Amino acid sequence: MKKIININFHSRVIPIEETAYEILQQYIESLRRYFAREEGRDEIISDIENRFSELFADKLKKGAACITDDDVNSIIASMGRPEDFEADDETSPTAGASQQGATGSSSATGAGASGAGTSGAGATGASQQGGWQYNTAEPRRLYRAENDKILGGVCGGLANYLRLDPAVVRIIFVLISFGWGLGFLLYFVLWMVLPTKSLPAVVRKRLYRNPDDRVIGGVASGMAAYFHIEVWIPRLIFALPIILSVISSLIGSAFWAHAHFHYSSPEFITGGFGGTLFIAYIVLWMVLPEAVTASDKLEMRGEKVDLESIKNTVKSDLEGFNKRAKDMGKEMGDRFKEMGPQIKQNIQTFSSETGAYARKGGSGFGHAVGVLFKAFFLFIAGMIAFGVTIALVSLIFAGDGILDLKSYILSGFWQNFLAWAAFLLFFLSPVLALLTWLIRRITGTRSRTHYLGYTFATLWVIGLFCFIALAGMVMNSFRSRQHTEEEITMSQPSQNKLMVRSAPRSGRVYDTDWWFNDDDWDWKHRAPFYIFNDDSILLTTVKVDVLKSDDAQYHIKVYRFSRSDNSRTASELAQQISYPVQQSDSVLSLPAGFPISKNQKFRNQQVLVAISVPVGKRIIIDNSVRSFRWFNLSGNHRHIHWSDGDEDTWEDQTDLDNTYPWNSNVEYTMTATGLVRSSRKDREDSEKPEQPERPEQKEKAEQPEKKEKPEQNQNDKQNSDHNGYRYQGPEKPAHKNNSDSPAIKSTTMLTVPYRGELGLLTALVHTL
Amino acid sequence: MNIENTQSQMRKGILEFCILSVIRRGEAYPSDIVEEMKAANLNILEGTLYPLLTRLKNADMLTYRWVESNSGPPRKYFCLTPKGETFYGELEATWNELANAVHALTKK
Repeated sequence: MKKIININFHSRVIPIEETAYEILQQYIESLRRYFAREEGRDEIISDIENRFSELFADKLKKGAACITDDDVNSIIASMGRPEDFEADDETSPTAGASQQGATGSSSATGAGASGAGTSGAGATGASQQGGWQYNTAEPRRLYRAENDKILGGVCGGLANYLRLDPAVVRIIFVLISFGWGLGFLLYFVLWMVLPTKSLPAVVRKRLYRNPDDRVIGGVASGMAAYFHIEVWIPRLIFALPIILSVISSLIGSAFWAHAHFHYSSPEFITGGFGGTLFIAYIVLWMVLPEAVTASDKLEMRGEKVDLESIKNTVKSDLEGFNKRAKDMGKEMGDRFKEMGPQIKQNIQTFSSETGAYARKGGSGFGHAVGVLFKAFFLFIAGMIAFGVTIALVSLIFAGDGILDLKSYILSGFWQNFLAWAAFLLFFLSPVLALLTWLIRRITGTRSRTHYLGYTFATLWVIGLFCFIALAGMVMNSFRSRQHTEEEITMSQPSQNKLMVRSAPRSGRVYDTDWWFNDDDWDWKHRAPFYIFNDDSILLTTVKVDVLKSDDAQYHIKVYRFSRSDNSRTASELAQQISYPVQQSDSVLSLPAGFPISKNQKFRNQQVLVAISVPVGKRIIIDNSVRSFRWFNLSGNHRHIHWSDGDEDTWEDQTDLDNTYPWNSNVEYTMTATGLVRSSRKDREDSEKPEQPERPEQKEKAEQPEKKEKPEQNQNDKQNSDHNGYRYQGPEKPAHKNNSDSPAIKSTTMLTVPYRGELGLLTALVHTL
Repeated sequence: MNIENTQSQMRKGILEFCILSVIRRGEAYPSDIVEEMKAANLNILEGTLYPLLTRLKNADMLTYRWVESNSGPPRKYFCLTPKGETFYGELEATWNELANAVHALTKK
């Protein structure tokens, strides 16, 4: 039972068996290769095809239902195969000297005519060459394979000589080329030195890439066909490194998730192995031909191979290989000796060959260059793909920090679901699509359908909708803003001077310092949060404003802000902000931040400490409070945030419009017109000598008067384990003291990856 | 030395001469040329003939015209050009010389 196809063959419709068609195609292809460097190649082929078509038509006219294998074979027999031509054809295309076609042949016959043998050097030379090429009795020689080549046919020729699968030789060549670069040199030397010949296939079975069943390049499938094993086995082997790294990531995160240990990326375990397999795949992809025709596919499967026959083949191959390799070494030696003059000619041939390539508008040489480029780009693309894969794996599995941050913003199943969907579809699918496109583009794979493109586009659009929906939901939960107001009862400072400073954080605080290792970097001070652990982060969105007091007293008001999807929950959240301000005579201690838990969610909670300074009295804001200005995104930060209709118009009730800008470590005096510096001497300049004495000063000042809110301090300490931070006594300012806090660094156990993104996100939410 | 090799070399030299002589007798279709040579007991593969014809044509020895055939597409019929005629003349002279020489030598 055979399938019959109709072909339009030189303006005749020919019903032909599919196998016969394959044979015909292969034959034409072999002719094309044989006449590759013939000037009138296309015409010759066309003539021959025309003849075929005519003979087919005759057959059909005589009543044949279709053209069978036998028909094609008998016509091919009468036409002759390329191997047969060489016997007859004096100007064989392989004879480099007789490139000139008819001119060459005419001169050759002319020479032959003028005197048999004496002056006919050209003719005899040419025909001798043709002769010994065809002569099987001659010792086997190394050629470049005319008919089985990717670049110059060197590997094909070597494989033919050694009776190996060309793929094996090519793999070795590619490996030594990648390894030491030697392969390229060797290849080009051989390309120049060796003559070409159309070589018969010596191996019945060859490794192909299987285009019918492939995931990437069909390599695994081809190997499966070659070894007669299930296709999933080689696939699994190739995919193993990725799977292994995924598994080890999973195990790693399972083990380390609670410890929040910054574990080393798991791909290091398998990276070397995986990289090798990856390169092996790329090499095979490059080197193996695709099984296109039916006979290719037969060759791909070959005869059944079991363990015994492999053993036998390998054994005999190795024995033979030794001998052949020795022979080859010997022959190469001889060859190079005798080849002094011949090399010259070969180089000429080589240059004429490459010249011919160039002349043909890059059909040949262009192909060679194309393969090189393909290899190069495959390598690059492979590296990129590898990197991206690894990055994604580690991003997904190592970045559970993101999950932690995520849970402060997202609430409910749908938001989480949408976040994942948006992440996978909106961000990952374009990356995958790009990679797929790149790889397919490089390998020249084109599918007639655009399903792949449609699929990616659909996924991306779904991802986009998820993203929009998510953004909408998240924005909705930031829609309403509410605040609470609390007047801190305070005793008036005795020296008519109020010092505002940040309450130092305890050593247990998980500082972000380890991440940057030096506190010079300003980012730290702009970070919207410092610290977070399993269930809380410490927001530092605290701002200090200085106002003019209406009476002769200092006043401190603490405003707490929060957003939410409705005003009720917003004010609840605002209420939940715990921000204890402590005063001890002239020193006002402000906590560095306030914790919010996962249940509270991050809803852009903020704290504003409004300090009213009576006229004539002084205020100095310590350097540790320097960063208490919320975000310095814009100089005019007071007007960025609240202006929407749903906002409470709290600033109308207060006179917060009359706040004064301040610099840290500068002593100001309140006057009727505003804040002015108390002294010309800029204390910021003399910061360094002052710094060591200041804590002592304050401790002295504080010790006797530490009476306010001691209970709260205690409470804070008790709560600290739960909240992950705690306040301790003001033993040192929080800033600029990291040099003596190795304990902090060593106890730092959690990672805060991708804070930059969160910072951006919060900043974005702010401006919205 | 290999007998087939020598034989094929002997044949090679005369191939073009024979082809040209067939064409010289009148316009010829390649398969006719093959048939005629076969009839004269000189076997040639069609696959060898086409390249030879093309080369000769490219060297201006031959020209061809399309002749409509009653079965299918037109066929290429080859004929000699003036240049081909002189070429053939030279080949013929050489052949006669050669044949005489060989004859004289072998029949001695």
